[in-house]
Amino acid sequence: MAGSDIETHWFDPLTRRGQASPDAEAANMATKLPRLIAKAHEIAGSVAHGVHGRRRAGVGEDFWQYRPFATGESAHKVDWRRSARGDQLFVREREWQGAQNYFVWMDGSPSMAFKSSLGGDYKIDRAAVIGLAVAEVLVQGGERVGALGLTPAFSARNIVERLAEALAGQSPTDRALDIPPEAALPSRARLLLISDFLCDIAALSARLQEFTNAGGRGAMLMVLDPAEESFPFMGETLFLDTDGGASFHAGDAASLRSAFARRLDQHEGALREAAKRAGFLFLRHHTDRPAAEAALAMLMGLGEGMEAR
Amino acid sequence: MTGLAFAAPLALLGLLALPVIYWLLRVTPPAPRKLHFPPVRLLRQLAPQERTPARTPWPLLLLRLAIAALISLALAGPTWNPSAVTPSAGPMLLAIDDGWAGAPDWDKRVAVAERFLMEANRDGTPAALMLVSQGAIAPQLTEAPKAADELRAARPKPWLAERGAAATQIKAFVADHREARLVWISDGLEQGEAKAFAKELNEATRGGASLEIFSSRRPTLALKGVVNDARGLEVSVLKAGAALNGQVEALDEKGRVIMTTPFAFEGSSDKTSAKFDLPVELRNDASLLRIVGENSAGAVGLLDARARVRRVAIVSGSGESQPLLSADHYLAKALAPFAQVLNPPPAESDPILAALADRPNVLVLADVNIAPGEAFEAAANFVEQGGLLLRFAGPRLANANDELTPVRLRRNGRVLGGAMSWETPKRLAEFEPASPFFGLPAPSEVTITRQMLAEPDPGLSAQTWAQLADGTPLVTFERRGKGLIVLFHVSADTTWSNLPISGVFVEMLKRLCALSGEDATGVGGDGSGNQAMLPPLRTLDGFGALGAPAPTAKAIGADFHGGASSEHPPGFYGSPGSAVALQTVADDDILQALDFATLGLTPHPFDLVGGARDLRPILLGLVFLGLVIDWLVLMRLSGRLRLAAALAVAFVAVAASQPPQARAEPQKAATAQRERDAALKTRLAYVIAGDARIDETSRLGLEALSRTLDQRTSFSPGEPMGVDVARDELAFFPMLYWPINAAAPQPDAKTVARVAAYMRQGGTVVFDTRDALTAHANAAPTPETLWLREMAKGLDLPALEVAPRDHVITKTFYLLDGFVGRYANGDTWVEALPPEPPGGAARPVRATDNVSAVVIASNDLAAAWAQDISGQPLYPLTPGGGRQREMALRGGVNLVMYTLTGNYKSDQVHVRDLLQRLGQ
Repeated sequence: MAGSDIETHWFDPLTRRGQASPDAEAANMATKLPRLIAKAHEIAGSVAHGVHGRRRAGVGEDFWQYRPFATGESAHKVDWRRSARGDQLFVREREWQGAQNYFVWMDGSPSMAFKSSLGGDYKIDRAAVIGLAVAEVLVQGGERVGALGLTPAFSARNIVERLAEALAGQSPTDRALDIPPEAALPSRARLLLISDFLCDIAALSARLQEFTNAGGRGAMLMVLDPAEESFPFMGETLFLDTDGGASFHAGDAASLRSAFARRLDQHEGALREAAKRAGFLFLRHHTDRPAAEAALAMLMGLGEGMEAR
Repeated sequence: MTGLAFAAPLALLGLLALPVIYWLLRVTPPAPRKLHFPPVRLLRQLAPQERTPARTPWPLLLLRLAIAALISLALAGPTWNPSAVTPSAGPMLLAIDDGWAGAPDWDKRVAVAERFLMEANRDGTPAALMLVSQGAIAPQLTEAPKAADELRAARPKPWLAERGAAATQIKAFVADHREARLVWISDGLEQGEAKAFAKELNEATRGGASLEIFSSRRPTLALKGVVNDARGLEVSVLKAGAALNGQVEALDEKGRVIMTTPFAFEGSSDKTSAKFDLPVELRNDASLLRIVGENSAGAVGLLDARARVRRVAIVSGSGESQPLLSADHYLAKALAPFAQVLNPPPAESDPILAALADRPNVLVLADVNIAPGEAFEAAANFVEQGGLLLRFAGPRLANANDELTPVRLRRNGRVLGGAMSWETPKRLAEFEPASPFFGLPAPSEVTITRQMLAEPDPGLSAQTWAQLADGTPLVTFERRGKGLIVLFHVSADTTWSNLPISGVFVEMLKRLCALSGEDATGVGGDGSGNQAMLPPLRTLDGFGALGAPAPTAKAIGADFHGGASSEHPPGFYGSPGSAVALQTVADDDILQALDFATLGLTPHPFDLVGGARDLRPILLGLVFLGLVIDWLVLMRLSGRLRLAAALAVAFVAVAASQPPQARAEPQKAATAQRERDAALKTRLAYVIAGDARIDETSRLGLEALSRTLDQRTSFSPGEPMGVDVARDELAFFPMLYWPINAAAPQPDAKTVARVAAYMRQGGTVVFDTRDALTAHANAAPTPETLWLREMAKGLDLPALEVAPRDHVITKTFYLLDGFVGRYANGDTWVEALPPEPPGGAARPVRATDNVSAVVIASNDLAAAWAQDISGQPLYPLTPGGGRQREMALRGGVNLVMYTLTGNYKSDQVHVRDLLQRLGQ
């Protein structure tokens, strides 16, 4: 038995007021943000080693290779400095560096401000760390990143700080949304959606479809606390909804475990289905796993799965 | 009187609320645990909400009802064993029987009384303590703590007090204080006017006072009528109460047990006897009889010089022709009841020499003339050495008398009332007060027909103990050296008088025999005519221990026949050689348990003290326990028990398993280190007695001794070590100093076996009972001694003796007389030496082949050695002085040297030096 001495912590991210002192500290954005940023930098640093250039010719700035001039090409492509050393004409190719527009969305709804004693972090913090780290890595890779619905995609050295500022300045109503907000996307935008996705699947599916229609694609990362997965509760328990819904009274929580697991599987299956239909990559992450793992998985997924399309 | 009562019975109505509580509890389930859980949405889509334990589970319900009922009961103030009487609120009068009968459980009596005084103190009522033995003093009302101080200072008296005076005081007290609360802690004996006293108490209750009586359930046992005669040593055992059997032990003057003999009461008899079957010599050594385990003066019988069985040798001049008419026969018959008559010596040798060879106390010469020569010298020497020479006249003595007569005798004597005489046979005159026969009747039927006459020298009357009616001496005496010559001026057969066949003859012989062996200054009248007064020598206290007499004890006359009292406490009176015993229980005393029932009284036993036991604390404890269980169950029901259980388990684990597991490793290392230290340097060691103060004293004492050894001898010991005999290896230490702590638990069998093994392998254990100050030779052994005895059962100890002056232990470094410590009067016991070989040359020192495995001291050696850091002694000494401290250290040096060098100093090589130094 995983143990029923599970403690759960929750604070209201909208009012930023926790019910107990540890929660209060977690809810305090001012103290939390620098830590999150530092962590994001750290993870980005470790993840960046695993990400490389595109390794093909393109419109980047870095030298890629010289190739013989093919007849019919426009003459200004000839690299005269190289060609002057011999009789043959050479064209200087640069590495392909098609800068893309990435948009990150981290769910800030009340259900994310949850942590159990099984997990390491509040889900909201974990989501922020992963999102910011991925943004950093992407910017280092030459992409442009923005916050979905908040900022346009841009490329800057201090991308993490700027995104964090934008997130901190987000209005509570926006933050309370548990599905990605409606946003005007540039064409071929990439979306990184990080949330627990404990939301209405129909609404989410519709929103994803909208993004697809606008040419967007991307990845969904489902961040869950281990307690939400394993349901380690026992005894008579009153489960309070974090989103303000009706609470649930369980006579013996332990007896619900298998039913809940089935229900969660079902929910996840529906999410996967929606993601697949909209052309999104679906990933899962538990807060008891390292954040770098999720960040790397997301970057690799973006690199491979999405390029394949 | 057992039962249950309630201080506030109305609170029991609370029990009526139980059904309501039951209903309330049924409808009020325990609160669920609340927690936030984001996927509640998913849960909500699950099955319908489960609401099973809407009711409290029945075990919990039962528990809560029990708690409620217990609270209700506790509020009602239940009391177990309430007193029959509700105690009055007035001042308390605590009457305590402080005779010897209360001594065996005196502590309990004091405890009972103290509890009452505490109660009085709580209630703020004044209290008065009245010791029944001091009934003449009016009880003074004081504050309870003051009375408690008085109580603690009180000791049982070695006599049974008459309660008459106390009854009068109580009457007066109750008259002054109508609401008095009377408490009588009785010894349960009827002796001492208990009935009248109880009646008086009953009267008092009628006047408004309340009465509580406490009495021990323990039977009272007493010894009386110690008889040590030719048949054996016998003592009567009296009981009051339900005793069945027990043991009586005989102790000699030094308090050593000679023999223990059982006694048993048959049926409902209140009297039985215990008999010691011992040879006369051993019996005569007994000076005190005591009922084992009964520490009271009444359970002690004293044997004085008079109680010794005398060995009497009879030498008769008359032939064997008519044995039943001979002097031998009359004398033997008369002496047999109280003396051991030695067999007549074989005829061929000189009868007197042969008789003296048997070392009698009394030599009876019936009409024997001692011829000058060897026999005369032997007889004279016998008298000089303290023997009693008892002579009877007769035809031979009348013809030729010798020097060994008290007075000069006329030849031939006179005949009274014979055919040739005008005079009638003479009768005995009354005995003079100065005579040892004083008090015996002078029967008129005794007639004297012939007697030997003394020369009418001046001072003849002073030498006369008995005379005829006409004033001529019948019995004369003379002291020579330490001994006594007594002459009956008549023959020991019936030819001269009918005295030998009268009862008074037996009594006279008995008294004469009692005189033997006493020194010349003793009883028996010195002719001055003054009745000699015998000052108290050693008296018993209430617990039956002999000690110095109290200043209030007064001398008794030689013919004192009363019982023991405050003026004359029981004990020995007179001078050390010829002490007279005054018994606690006189020969005509009886013991009878007081029948409280017939007096309409109900005594409480001591263990139900206070009359009542308040049950509230127990009930409230149960309530608390119930609440804890309830809390645990609730935690369990709401799924939070895990944490609590884990905490509890963790706590238990920390408390229980921490020592053996967590400490095991470092401890092993520490043990190894410690053993290395112990092995690398010879050092003194002491046994950790389990009392911080004793252990510290031992450590400091051995440190000081180690320093002394370092300074004065070639032995430089390391730091002394404390040793736990149960765990530590003992093999490294040549000597273990073991101060006995009676409060410590007895070591288990395994530990004792370790110590025994250590001793077998050559180690020496110096036990120090530290009780020389409190131990008395004849008293009950001290707790320390008992502790040591109990432990020594497993030790297989050799025979021990008080270290003799020529034991090598007194010569190993210094020449010492004994081993003093904090006290100087205790003996030091060592393994007994083999007896000195007869005829061997006298040597100044003796030793066994081995070092004595055990030395038992009682002088608290370490306390005398102990010094603080600056070298100042820590404890005052008794009697005290720098010399004693130095001698204590020297004794310690000798002990250590003895354990290290063994019998080295007894080697012949040293004899010359020793003799020189000893000044021989």
